[in-house]
Amino acid sequence: MSLQRLRLPARSCLALLLTAFAAVGCGGQQPRATEGDGGNRDLAGTEVGVYSGRHYNTDKELYREFTRRTGIKVNLLEAKDDALIERLRTEGQNTPADLLVLVDAARLDKATRMNLFQPSDSAELDKDVPANLRDSQGRWFGLTRRVRAAIVNPDQVDPSTIRTYADLANPALKGKLCLRNSKSVYNQSLVADQLIQRGNAATRDWVKGMVANTSQPFFTSDTPLARAVAKGDCGVGVVNTYYVARMLSGDNGAEDKTLASGLKVVFPDPAHVNISGAGVTRYASNPAGALRLLEFLASPTGGKGYAEANNEYPLTGYGDNALLKDFGTFRADDVSAEQMGAKNKEAVELMQANGWQ
Amino acid sequence: MIAEPAAWGPSGQTLPQRSLLSAGVLVLSGLALLPVLALVAFAAVDGGLDRLTLGHEGAAQIRNTLLLVASVGVLGAALGTATGWLTANCQFPGRRWLRIAQLLPLATPTYLLAATAIDLGSRLSWRVHGLGWAVAVLTLATYSYVFLLSTESFAVSGKRQLEACRSLGIGPWGSFRRVALPMALPAIGAGIALSGMEVVNELGAVELLGVPTLSSGILQRWQNQGDPQGAVALALVALVIVSLLVGAERLLRRRSRRWLLGSRGDRLAPWTLHGWRALVAQLLTALPPLATLGLPLLWTAMSWDQLQGESVAELAGLSGRTLLLALVAAGMTMAVGLVLAIARRWIPQPLIQQLTFVAGMGYAVPGTVLALALMLLGGPLGLSPLLLLLWGYSDRFLAVGKGGLDAGLERIPPSVDEAATGLGCSWIQVLGRVHLPLLRGPLLVGALLVFVDTVKELPLTFALRPFDFDTLAVRVYQYAGDERVGAALIPALLILALGLVASLALVPSLDETSS
Repeated sequence: MSLQRLRLPARSCLALLLTAFAAVGCGGQQPRATEGDGGNRDLAGTEVGVYSGRHYNTDKELYREFTRRTGIKVNLLEAKDDALIERLRTEGQNTPADLLVLVDAARLDKATRMNLFQPSDSAELDKDVPANLRDSQGRWFGLTRRVRAAIVNPDQVDPSTIRTYADLANPALKGKLCLRNSKSVYNQSLVADQLIQRGNAATRDWVKGMVANTSQPFFTSDTPLARAVAKGDCGVGVVNTYYVARMLSGDNGAEDKTLASGLKVVFPDPAHVNISGAGVTRYASNPAGALRLLEFLASPTGGKGYAEANNEYPLTGYGDNALLKDFGTFRADDVSAEQMGAKNKEAVELMQANGWQ
Repeated sequence: MIAEPAAWGPSGQTLPQRSLLSAGVLVLSGLALLPVLALVAFAAVDGGLDRLTLGHEGAAQIRNTLLLVASVGVLGAALGTATGWLTANCQFPGRRWLRIAQLLPLATPTYLLAATAIDLGSRLSWRVHGLGWAVAVLTLATYSYVFLLSTESFAVSGKRQLEACRSLGIGPWGSFRRVALPMALPAIGAGIALSGMEVVNELGAVELLGVPTLSSGILQRWQNQGDPQGAVALALVALVIVSLLVGAERLLRRRSRRWLLGSRGDRLAPWTLHGWRALVAQLLTALPPLATLGLPLLWTAMSWDQLQGESVAELAGLSGRTLLLALVAAGMTMAVGLVLAIARRWIPQPLIQQLTFVAGMGYAVPGTVLALALMLLGGPLGLSPLLLLLWGYSDRFLAVGKGGLDAGLERIPPSVDEAATGLGCSWIQVLGRVHLPLLRGPLLVGALLVFVDTVKELPLTFALRPFDFDTLAVRVYQYAGDERVGAALIPALLILALGLVASLALVPSLDETSS
């Protein structure tokens, strides 16, 4: 094949491309509601821009359901939480985002400190979201709960020896513990949680003890860690329970399903509970629409969908997920998401200073 | 004959024409440099440049980056040179197909290679983690750059010298070691420099493999630690490293040209390899592409029971947007590259020469930081995210597209331009009737490389895309990051397919240098 034959009619192609590009890029631009709509105006036909750190197809189905119910169109941009926070900050008043959805209390706290949310006043949200899972000034509200628990390979370690997070530092587990690295915001929040409950000195000793117990380099994700525990390469690991539920559901394939069936999920008592949550952005051009969506997502109907998408726990109770029910119940500690977020920086410094890479 | 393109311009150029071209260079290089300047200005205004600090982690990140660049450079040079020599100058069963197969790694996103290696490893109870694995993954992902440049050099260089070797009874190994390799060293060096630039900018794979590098450090400082000054400090270090690589690449290409000119023409009959020699050649040339493409395919085959299909409409939308972005980015980047390359040839002023050089520095800025810089610029001006995205692609991939054009122009002797202008052609006519036809090859190759890079590109697309404008790469990365392999399968396969089609379109240009 000669290069000559590959030559294209450049002008026609460019014109076609630009036309197509304009059509794709500009599609769906609808009139937006103006600031100060309040909650009473009929918002049908308006749009809500959502920046979301969650990436589940089922979330999109939920947004479509919201549009069917209210007539409010949802424009979605999913990306990493920290990138979204940075984008929102740099966009300032020009942001097209009305609602910011983030995973983990620390990130919600970070966005709050950067003044990216505006307070929302909603009796529905106050009713649906427990006080410890929302910001005291109504700037963000929890939508799902996620528990960071221990997973145990019963052939390697007796599950009954893990009763609290402190037990993970027991020298008896030397060479048997596997951990995800300190970049994991889930681990950062766990350490922040322990800082609040047990203070600096005890938490430092606990981190040191756990680091001394690790047998392998720190993992970069939870699923390979869970596999390593299931295969007996590690005796104990610390993961969010939904990763195990996902393996058990068969979504990760038959091999992972079999592997996960050999794992024992142990909830330390009291258990560390984290959240995903959302708030109306400071410069939202459709705050009323965003609040309506937030109320829908936090409601028992919307919240159920949001939680089930990822095998997470709803805001209260244990939901209908059979896999989660099999894990049993847990007693959540009384640390609020707001407190946890505030301790994140200290937690990261403590982890890095004590060998948690 | 040695070309001296930088110090020459067509005599027919009038002052307004030169001014127009110079203005074009000023605007385009200004647009290319603006994001970097915005970063520095932002850091200076926000906290003062005196707060720039690399910190304890920064030292480790720089060390890891340099180690990766050096190790991947050495291994990639060995692999790319071996495959380049064997497929250019030796004959063995399957040579033509194996030569084409060396382009396959270009189609595979590095983060996909890393993610599949980690996932397959954890099923086999291996820890795919750390610097060693990062070197392996990045070598496989980037050795093609060395191959592409070295094979061209081996194919067209030193015919007479190699004939002399043959007449003296020196075999292929001796000829390679004593004649061809020294002559190809500049081309190999240029390939190493290109792969080094890729390594400095790599983000997804090093994060997945748990290796702290400059790229991941910049992102971490900026977004996680809220320390833009620290991020800028690291970005400046990355800029220095890549500037050195770009400078080395340019210097070596120029040296390579001095060797190569006058040697083109009839091809030397290749050495025929038999028996175990042929087998070794087959293995050596087959293994890298097999590993690069094989890992994702093996992963796909082993994960088939996890398949979670997206709707056909969703997949069509993802593919369509990816294709459109890549085509427009390739067109824009090559247009900008052409203006700069032509200006570099025709306007001997040092300022213009330097500007055309530094315009390619966007390659030095990790995609995420470039995205943030573009947001800093575009946010206050209310520029559309799509425009910023295309600006980012052009900035980022200009070096990839322009390199081939520079090399292509250097091969056109100045006498050709002189003859054309002597016959009354204006510079536009010289461009349209002489240069563009002769540059068709480099333009196509450059556009295809930019196309493939855009299809695979993550950080820019991730950060700058507008609402409801996901691409295949974004979707794969999101799912892989969420540890949801099944959902990532089909988009990953589509990326591979698009990359393969584009890589295979490079085959004719590869064949031009082949027998």
